[in-house]
Amino acid sequence: MGNLSADVIVQGILLGGLYATAALGLSLVFGVMKLINLAHGQFLVLGAYLTSLLVSAIGGDPFLSAIPIAILMAAIAYPMQRFIFSPVMSSGEESPITATFGIGIAIQTLLLIFFSSNPRSIGAPYATSQLNIFGLHVRLTLLIATLIGVATVLALTFVIKKTQFGRQVQAASFDPAAAGLVGINVKHTYASVMAISAASASIGGVLIALSFAIAPPEGTNWLLRAFTVIVIGGLGSLSGTLYGGFIVGLVETVGAEFIGPQYRDLVVFGVLVLILVIKPNGLFAKRVGK
Amino acid sequence: MKKFKKIVASVIDSQTMYPSVLAVVLAIAAIVAQSSLTRGNKNQLTELLIMMSISVAWNLIGGFGGQFSLGHSIFVGIGGYATAILLTYFGWPLLATVSISALISAALGVLIAFPLLRLRGPYLAVGSLGMTLAMYGWMINWDFTKASSSYQIPIEFSLSIDDLYSYVVFFVLIAVLASLFMVRSPMGLRMIALREDEAGAASLGVHRVRTLLPFWAVSGLVTGMAGAFYALQQGTLTVDAAFNLKFSLDAAITSVIGGLGTVAGPILGAIVVYYVRDFAADLANWALVIEAAVVVLVVRFFPRGIMGFLYKLRSLIESWAHSDDEK
Repeated sequence: MGNLSADVIVQGILLGGLYATAALGLSLVFGVMKLINLAHGQFLVLGAYLTSLLVSAIGGDPFLSAIPIAILMAAIAYPMQRFIFSPVMSSGEESPITATFGIGIAIQTLLLIFFSSNPRSIGAPYATSQLNIFGLHVRLTLLIATLIGVATVLALTFVIKKTQFGRQVQAASFDPAAAGLVGINVKHTYASVMAISAASASIGGVLIALSFAIAPPEGTNWLLRAFTVIVIGGLGSLSGTLYGGFIVGLVETVGAEFIGPQYRDLVVFGVLVLILVIKPNGLFAKRVGK
Repeated sequence: MKKFKKIVASVIDSQTMYPSVLAVVLAIAAIVAQSSLTRGNKNQLTELLIMMSISVAWNLIGGFGGQFSLGHSIFVGIGGYATAILLTYFGWPLLATVSISALISAALGVLIAFPLLRLRGPYLAVGSLGMTLAMYGWMINWDFTKASSSYQIPIEFSLSIDDLYSYVVFFVLIAVLASLFMVRSPMGLRMIALREDEAGAASLGVHRVRTLLPFWAVSGLVTGMAGAFYALQQGTLTVDAAFNLKFSLDAAITSVIGGLGTVAGPILGAIVVYYVRDFAADLANWALVIEAAVVVLVVRFFPRGIMGFLYKLRSLIESWAHSDDEK
């Protein structure tokens, strides 16, 4: 124990990429609407389950099957935001949090009823294959997950920063009332953001199910990992999500190596609390008002 | 004497009198009704009352203080385990042990409030959630708490359900009265002012940490004592059950359903949630789906909870009753 090899570091970084993908949607929703989506973990699990159903029904590559499922998830999430979360957002921050929690429980229980609590993984011919890069052992799926994660973060950052839609999102986030006055449909924009978040969550869920396995009750655990990632990265910052993911992945694998794998959670959440106490707005938080 | 007179006058004039009389009457009724209740009834009511006391304690800082804590499971776990451990090693009288456990939990409330009070809004929710999970990660691996196996309350200290029920009724009464008087006191008004407008309150000289610490202490005290009674009711403790995030979430949900930042809200919310669960219990997993649907529907259509609905109803009736006045 306590052997800080390059293997451990690489493993941590790859795990971090996976975490960043899982946390991206949570970060986006918080950044735009100041809404903590407690159903995010269940979005991950639901995306993974639907994809695994599709893969086992018609076969084919899990990454390709993930695309229609991501669109389906977006279609499920859009009306949720439009007709449940948005209308209660004016009455404080507790009501929407509670509503998302209710939705999360509903999704989790429905999955339990239809699929039991057995872990499910998505089979792919390359799911267990290892690469050997310069003498380092790398799991192929984790490598793919990380690359997709980084690509998703970059793509989403581009969309928010550079496109017409992204500028509408920024305006609606900055001042919903003024955005409405200049003709932006704020309700539609918010619902679209939730739809994008759910789509990216379902891709994150597929990556998790390819690398490990996923079961309905684990949604909450993944939600908390995702929380840790976005808090460390600075709540609402998309690029911060990427850094946060890498930090959590590294802390977790290195911590497990030194202190013992059963203390994984203690290490990760201990670091979370410590960072919050020292820098209450997260490590990479932008100054308010810029 | 003059001071005493002033206190009596302020109690009679204030908004605290009717609610506290009502609470005392309900508690007496609960004790009197005891003889006609079956064992099963009393067990259920004890469960409900423990849940209610945690909701009341949570609402004190979560509702009135606007601090959405997800860390209250820590207090339940600490209160429960402190009771089990103290009884095992020292064997002091039961009520003394329960009180000491509650005090330990109160001290912990102050201890975790210091770092948590640096955080605001969603950060506080996330920070307290992290604390809960870190604590769980510690306790589940600690040999002293017998880690993942269960911890038995010594058999000679097991309470009869009659005694436990009476203690818990009395305890909930005290908790409700404490919450009522605290939020109506100047200190409580300062806390509500901080929730509504922190900068404004600070400019009038309200010190944030100094105002909020006593509320965290009381909230920790009440929740810790609820944990102690939970331990006594269960007879055995596991880290999984006692440090379960469920306690924090239940407290938050019942308060939101009942009406955040109202004294009666968490009480009504706990009753509704408990009986929805009980009603749906036969439906196995579908029970949770129904509960989730109820939560979402209440939040969607009555964002201010049951109390908000009742206030709205009252103002409707008032305007109806006065509608002829102008003519």
